[in-house]
Amino acid sequence: MMQTSRPSILESAWVRPETRAALDAFFRGFGFTSDEDLTALALWVLEGAREQGERPQAAVALARARVETWLAGVLSQEAGGTLLARGRAAFVLCDGARLGARLLTRGAVPDGFARALRAAVPVPAPVQVASVMPEQQLVLWPFGELLRRWWRGAQADVSISR
Amino acid sequence: MHAHSFSPESAGRRRACVLGLAAASTVVGTWEMHRLLSVRGTTAPELVLVALFTLCFGWIALSFWTAVAGFLQLAVGRRLPGLRWPTAEEESSPLTSRTSVVMPIHNEDPAAVFANVQATYESVAATGHLDAFDFYVLSDSTRAEAWVAEELAWAELCRRVGGQGRIFYRRRTDNTGKKAGNLQDFCERWGRHYDFTVVLDADSLMDGRTLVKMARLMELNPRAGILQAPPLCVGRSTLFARLQQFAGRVYGPVVAAGAAAWQLGESNYWGHNAILRTSAFIEHCGLPVLPGQQPFGGHILSHDFVEAALMRRAGFTVWLVPELGGSYEQPPPNLLAYAQRDRRWCQGNLQHLSLVLAGGLHPISRGHFLMGVMSYAASPLWLMFLMAGLVAALHDGWVSWAHPTAHPVDFGFDTGGALRLLGVSMGMLLAPKLMGLGLALARGQDAARMGGRARLVASVLVESVLATLLAPVMMLFQSHFVFGTLLGYRVSWTSQQREDADLPWAEAARRHAVHTAVGVALAIGTFALSPGLVAWLAPVVAGLLLSIPLSVLTARASLGLWTERVGLFLIPEETVPPKVLERAREVTEEHAVAPVADAVDHVLSDARAHALHLALLESLPGPETVPAALASARRKLLGGSVEPLSAPEKVAVLLDAGTLTEARERRLTRATS
Repeated sequence: MMQTSRPSILESAWVRPETRAALDAFFRGFGFTSDEDLTALALWVLEGAREQGERPQAAVALARARVETWLAGVLSQEAGGTLLARGRAAFVLCDGARLGARLLTRGAVPDGFARALRAAVPVPAPVQVASVMPEQQLVLWPFGELLRRWWRGAQADVSISR
Repeated sequence: MHAHSFSPESAGRRRACVLGLAAASTVVGTWEMHRLLSVRGTTAPELVLVALFTLCFGWIALSFWTAVAGFLQLAVGRRLPGLRWPTAEEESSPLTSRTSVVMPIHNEDPAAVFANVQATYESVAATGHLDAFDFYVLSDSTRAEAWVAEELAWAELCRRVGGQGRIFYRRRTDNTGKKAGNLQDFCERWGRHYDFTVVLDADSLMDGRTLVKMARLMELNPRAGILQAPPLCVGRSTLFARLQQFAGRVYGPVVAAGAAAWQLGESNYWGHNAILRTSAFIEHCGLPVLPGQQPFGGHILSHDFVEAALMRRAGFTVWLVPELGGSYEQPPPNLLAYAQRDRRWCQGNLQHLSLVLAGGLHPISRGHFLMGVMSYAASPLWLMFLMAGLVAALHDGWVSWAHPTAHPVDFGFDTGGALRLLGVSMGMLLAPKLMGLGLALARGQDAARMGGRARLVASVLVESVLATLLAPVMMLFQSHFVFGTLLGYRVSWTSQQREDADLPWAEAARRHAVHTAVGVALAIGTFALSPGLVAWLAPVVAGLLLSIPLSVLTARASLGLWTERVGLFLIPEETVPPKVLERAREVTEEHAVAPVADAVDHVLSDARAHALHLALLESLPGPETVPAALASARRKLLGGSVEPLSAPEKVAVLLDAGTLTEARERRLTRATS
């Protein structure tokens, strides 16, 4: 028989312990530590899911999607790519967890926090513009090279590193 | 082609003047030396002595006439011809170019590095031209702890100044090509975003106004490939560092102005505190790998000279622009750190010997290679000159074991002439100091900011005495490096010491034991040979005998600060610090970052470090972990082993997001249960 993880808070809801543990681990990565927040976040993720007893992997995937959507909304960026990792870093750097689970579960995000979050998203580097820095050819001793070419009939100006 | 971007018509006259006078002085000096030695005919040891003297005297003659040119240039106070400078109207217009400011780092103190970046960033922002600049910290750090600390310091800096999207941080997973390779990697990934690139060193600091001026000069001079702003040494407290700061501030401008005055558009690039034309750099400055083994083959170690030569070969000019100002760096804190840096530079400069005759280079570029070689080869040459002098004296009977009290005059030796030649040589060595002192004294404000005229003169006198005592030690160090390089010692590439820590006596004794022994041997040998010779060699002998206490005492910050309190070796940047310097110091003090004791443990236990590291990991070009190291690290980390991770294992773990996530979840689960 399945047990409810936090019957005192939501007596009607039950979550598999392993699912709850996986979700807790996921949200701890955002800096949430209190049971109350973690429970609320677990329910927020599983709300509307086919059954509250989602398997851990599926529940975490749901959580990722939920948070990613939330981040995309607050940061005005498209979901996907590295948004979740960068958004999570920004959330932790801004100590978003201090505002509690309501920050994620409630629709509105305080303007000040949204601004801080946007400013904290790590952008380690801009988009790359691939380019090649060609190795320059230097003939170290041109006179000797001239002689060598004359003697061997070799090609001129072969890169010295090859 | 834009004629104004190339060396002006007066270049030939200027060069003929400086180089011609140096050559003429060398010929006269050599002739005089030969005359002195040939009183009793010319022997083989004397010929060797004359040859060595020619090289050594030629080197000081070139330095002397360069300093004279610099003195005249500064005294006249006119701008060098060649570069087009902005008009007042142009100066007030916005920059139309984009410039990247890049700082390659390697296992440095992140607090100092990012404080300098912040001060420079804020200084640029204060000019109102921030939109034209982006900043990059290009890490080649190999220590996991340095890597994680840099990430945190970067995020913290971005938070403080709102710099995300303008201050970037990238760490390479391999260090191919060292600093030059680091810069090449930047150029190949992001270089094309920018018209110009300002290269900084880990301890560089630049005023925003200088950066804007450099970018504007590059805009106005489309054939200028590199502009070098000579950095001024500042910011240290040890006596040794303050001596260097003072020397750099008083004598440095004379030397820099002199070099700029005759080298003009074929000047050199010093590897940092310079602006490059990015496209020209990418297209023409990719470094070749030299054939053969180290020390002369392999990757080019001192890349800057070669890049300058390649830039000039491609038709772009390279300018040393002393009047830019606002360019700073830190000197090594003590003699041993200075020698350590010299060791790296020595091998790099000697490697340039193989490039002197390379095809297509400008003659002045070849001259830079030779001057770089001479800056280190001069030491062993002087050493050999001293030894050859003793051998020649013995061989020709000027002195004798059998008659130690005999005087060379007895054999017809022209002692007066020898003293004159010595006096001229010493005068040429000391002249740049006197010229620098003269200029500083003439500028009342400068003199006042250096403690007043009396203290300024006293500082120059004391500095000259200490520099004379330290010179023989450096001569032996550099001779060792040169011979070591020629014999094939490898130079390890490590970050240099940048802290003002005291030097322990034991360490100094270990490093200077040989110098002291040489001093003792030289003193005894010379005395036994001829007591009169001891006086001639007294500065050399005294420097070597005192090498241990000199090294220890000059490394003391307490002594350096004491000299500051009594007004010795003061520089204007200490008495009236420029804003950017003051800001860098404030940031370093206010935002000191706690050191990361164990990188993996920190990333696993600290939520900020963990989230940030994983976010940055996603932007790395590709995992290049060593599977064996990762496998063993996972066994230790996830298998509950108490055995600590090795350095490669730490790096392997830090490159693997999966392992980090798994380990952190386990750690949190353990903590909550």
